[in-house]
Amino acid sequence: MSLERKDEYDHGEWMREKNLTPVETTFLTVLIWMDKRFRIVDYLEILETLYYRVNMQMPKSHTEQYNLDNKFWYWYPLYALGSFSTIAYVVAALSGALLGFYYAPATTGDPTTAYNQLAFIMTELNFGFMLRSIHRWSAQVMVAAVFLHMLRVYFTGAYKEPRELNWIIGIILISLTMVFGYTGYLLPWDQLAFWAGQIGVEMSLSIPLAGEWVAQLLFGGFSLGQATLQRMYIIHVFLLPFVVTTLIAVHIGIVWIQGIAEPH
Amino acid sequence: MDSSTDDTDADEETRAREVEVPLHLYKVVTVFSTMFAVAFVVGGFIVLDTATQRARLDFGEMNLPLAILGVAMIAAGALVYAFATRFRAEGMGKPKDGSDEPSNNG
Ligand code: HEM
Repeated sequence: MSLERKDEYDHGEWMREKNLTPVETTFLTVLIWMDKRFRIVDYLEILETLYYRVNMQMPKSHTEQYNLDNKFWYWYPLYALGSFSTIAYVVAALSGALLGFYYAPATTGDPTTAYNQLAFIMTELNFGFMLRSIHRWSAQVMVAAVFLHMLRVYFTGAYKEPRELNWIIGIILISLTMVFGYTGYLLPWDQLAFWAGQIGVEMSLSIPLAGEWVAQLLFGGFSLGQATLQRMYIIHVFLLPFVVTTLIAVHIGIVWIQGIAEPH
Repeated sequence: MDSSTDDTDADEETRAREVEVPLHLYKVVTVFSTMFAVAFVVGGFIVLDTATQRARLDFGEMNLPLAILGVAMIAAGALVYAFATRFRAEGMGKPKDGSDEPSNNG
């Protein structure tokens, strides 16, 4: 007697009983052949059992209790978007820290030091092109994920009482995410950066009453220069990392304390 | 369990063919056909990319046989996936008729 578990039925015999088309028979035979050699289904079944064992110990959720899962299940993958935002943020932080070893926020020289350092990273530094690409991609992915996360929260009604505070923290987070993107965009100090900076100064100046003060504070003057780049740099690598990391921690802490929202 | 299919093509031509199989075989079909479909579609796109150098070549310059192979692989992946949907485990309803939700939107 072998230790191997017997299949519950004889595939060959069973297939002859049914009147399958030749294509169907071939299809099934091939897949059964694969299954005998690569017992992926068995491993998946073990995972499935583990999953249900763990789940059985949990209290029933609102969706289970009122049998809403059959309407609601297709939202569940989108609950991963908050985690995606966090992962993208962590990847950007790590790759950004490494980029920081090679970048210098100086407008001296022509082309400027800042631009030269970027050229160095892209063309000479080992893995520099990859490092910068990872940083840019994770930044883009984070913006997209945060926005979609907000839509998920909105459409599942997860912003409603008692989660108003977390929605407001979220609004601050998406705004700061965009400030992160903007300040980072200016750092290469190339043409795109420079003119985006120009737009920023003019937008600040257009604010009634406080405009000049805001332009001074954020851009270090009314026309772009060393002060601008230096402020963008400090905002990007010092100010925002502390603020955003703290806010994300609080945001996720609140979800932890309040529990994830049931669909409304 | 002697009739092989729920609806033999005699009465309704438009209905998709369904084949009832044991639960374990249903899992085998789902797992492996999905794997094959994914491998074919992803592989097909890679082949197509290679043939057209990521769509940067002019029309005349691309490797036509390789491009056709790529498209064929994508189609094959879709075909495997679509073909696999005719197999059902015992007691599994069709997605539309089997639903237990009322149509009053909650
Ligand atoms: C840096 C940006 C953000 C990060 C890293 C983040 C992260 C997360 C994570 C991990 C969760 C747990 C549930 C889930 O993943 O869906 C969550 C929940 C939540 N987020 Fe965010 N989020 C961000 C931005 C936002 C924005 C822009 C909003 C809305 C304006 C928002 C509102 C909420 C609310 C209300 C919840 C609770 C949802 C529930 O309990 O179902 N978040 N967030």
